[in-house]
Amino acid sequence: MAYLELAALKKVYGKDIEAVKSFNLKVDKEEFIVFLGPSGCGKSTIMRMIAGLESVTEGNILLEGESIIDYQPKDRGISMIFQSYAVWPHMTVYDNVAYALKLRKISKEQIDKTVKEVAKISDIYQYLNRYPNNLSGGQRQRVAVARAIAIKPKLFLMDEPLSNLDAKLRVSMRTDLKRIHQELKTTSIFVTHDQSEALSLADRIVVMNHGYIEQIGTPNEIYHDSESMFVAKFIGSPPSNFLTVKVKEREDKIFVIHSDFELEVKNKYKKALKNKYINKEIILAVRPENFTINKKGILKVKCNIIEPQGSHVVINIFVGGEEIKVVSNILTLKTNEEIDLGFSEKIAFFDIETEKRIR
Amino acid sequence: MEKNKKGTVKSVFKSPYMFLVPALLFYTFFWLLPVSLSLIESFTSIDGGFSLENFKMMFDDPLFGEAFRNTLIFAVISLFLQFIFALMFALLINRNFKGSKWFLFIMLIPMAIPPSAVGILWNTGLVESGWINSLLSVTGLQNLIELLGIAEGPIIWKEASGLQAVFMIILIDTWTVLPSVMIILLAGLQNFNEEYSEAARIFGANRFQALKDIVIPIIKPTIITALLLRIISGLQVWLISVMIFGFNNVPFLLERIVFYTDQVRLGVYSYKLSVTYSVFVVAVVSITAYIFIKLTKGKDWSGTSE
Ligand SMILES: Nc1ncnc2c1ncn2[C@@H]1O[C@H](COP(=O)(O)OP(=O)(O)OP(=O)(O)O)[C@@H](O)[C@H]1O
Ligand SMILES: [Mg+2]
Repeated sequence: MAYLELAALKKVYGKDIEAVKSFNLKVDKEEFIVFLGPSGCGKSTIMRMIAGLESVTEGNILLEGESIIDYQPKDRGISMIFQSYAVWPHMTVYDNVAYALKLRKISKEQIDKTVKEVAKISDIYQYLNRYPNNLSGGQRQRVAVARAIAIKPKLFLMDEPLSNLDAKLRVSMRTDLKRIHQELKTTSIFVTHDQSEALSLADRIVVMNHGYIEQIGTPNEIYHDSESMFVAKFIGSPPSNFLTVKVKEREDKIFVIHSDFELEVKNKYKKALKNKYINKEIILAVRPENFTINKKGILKVKCNIIEPQGSHVVINIFVGGEEIKVVSNILTLKTNEEIDLGFSEKIAFFDIETEKRIR
Repeated sequence: MEKNKKGTVKSVFKSPYMFLVPALLFYTFFWLLPVSLSLIESFTSIDGGFSLENFKMMFDDPLFGEAFRNTLIFAVISLFLQFIFALMFALLINRNFKGSKWFLFIMLIPMAIPPSAVGILWNTGLVESGWINSLLSVTGLQNLIELLGIAEGPIIWKEASGLQAVFMIILIDTWTVLPSVMIILLAGLQNFNEEYSEAARIFGANRFQALKDIVIPIIKPTIITALLLRIISGLQVWLISVMIFGFNNVPFLLERIVFYTDQVRLGVYSYKLSVTYSVFVVAVVSITAYIFIKLTKGKDWSGTSE
């Protein structure tokens, strides 16, 4: 039995704004799940339905096997961190953290103990007597974290908690969040549209688009084994390169043909291509780092633009009129230098119509 | 040195205090001057010397006690009623339900009616065959009233007196000013970040606790502004009373002032009396406002200072 289960969850705003369309997800205890997707794809809507701030149009939410959709937010045992932090300005940091505990009728001594404990974990101990307006954004964020972990929730929801912080603080806060999760092991769902945040925090990532789930998987699966063109394009910077190719069969060998090159498909995809795609166009997807350079490649190209990134370079290359990006650790490459480009084993094919992976 | 001296002359005109001059002039001529003149007037006898006889005359006014009591009761109860109802309506409209815009529009109608028209409206309503009694009998409420023994036959509203009359005036006043109080509270609520109360509800508060512990304290500055305005104008009620019950029947402090200024021709005595009442009202309003502000003042959490 899953710890948290979202079963055919659906949300319709008004008459016909379908924010979430039949969403299915099972979350294990202690897991750290990240919802990743572009703006407006329904991430917040799902979080708000789990928290009880938004009604569920259809489907069910089960926490520890029990449906919670008819419960008030306060009875769900869930904590949430909001994008605006929502740290109450008229209470001191101490009172912000203690408020939920007071409502639970916990003894004063116990409250004091808990507040100080979580204040230490989230590193706000020295600010306990301050009002939030006298704190920086990052400190307020920590107050929100302290408040959320103080009630020992069954589930910890975070809706873009880092998006209001500057780039540097964001990275250090996410390390802190990961550390806190490793310490407390609270089952968590974290929303972001920042892929590096998602990749670095998640046990599993749920990639969403227009209210649908595109793919659920570990960061490695999402990155190296993208299920759809959307995921391949959304994840990775620079993202996956797409080249339109035609499948041909010659003497029991399968080739994908591009105007500038031909590539023989020998690996596990050979059968799938042979079965359904002979003489059809498909998409060949290659991550920027999955090219080979000057190692018995299959086409000669010129380096158009070279962008040094310190540890590696990003090369812009034109292949048959389409621009692709290649990452290489050969730092001595020069603009307009001709190279011998090839593909590594890690290539993927997508159906041009459904944009889904061909396996 | 030369330069510096020149600079100081110039700097008088450039100093930030120059911006205060128009306001200062305004308050001197239209506020300080008349108030001090009245103050002096109220403490001088007819033959010109200092005396307390005007105040003695005011306290001896047979209606002074009732006017004072009515004014305070009116101010406090109407403040309370108007706050509760205005907050309820503001919260309701703020939920943005279907048709809330229309509801708001309808609620605002009383604001558009000038005070004297309000008097006429209720005046025609409260006569024996007025629209209020018609409404009661059409809706069948009249039967209920008679059944419960509250009244026999149509209620003669205008014969109400004493506290009953004050309560009627409170209700009419509430009807009139509710929208203006509500608008101020609504403005406060619409600036309010909904995530504050959502956070409260997630962390264990029910709707009422979220309202009491989070929403109201955060919009408190707005609430205080609205209530301060209301308590000040509540202490100055008179027109509804006079329009419906006439002078001398349901006395209020301001009603006394108008009465002695406009209605009686005792010459210099009535003038003195009305001035003294004015000074008294100013004192009551100032003291009440001061107490109100003191009572409602909480910890300052908004500031940048520690
Ligand atoms: N109260 C509402 N009424 C109508 N439509 C809404 C409402 N709230 C959200 N929506 C719509 O539902 C869709 C999903 O919104 P949601 O806030 O869940 O997106 P999101 O993935 O959280 O986006 P972001 O990354 O920008 O926060 C959007 O198209 C949005 O316009
Ligand atoms: Mg969102």
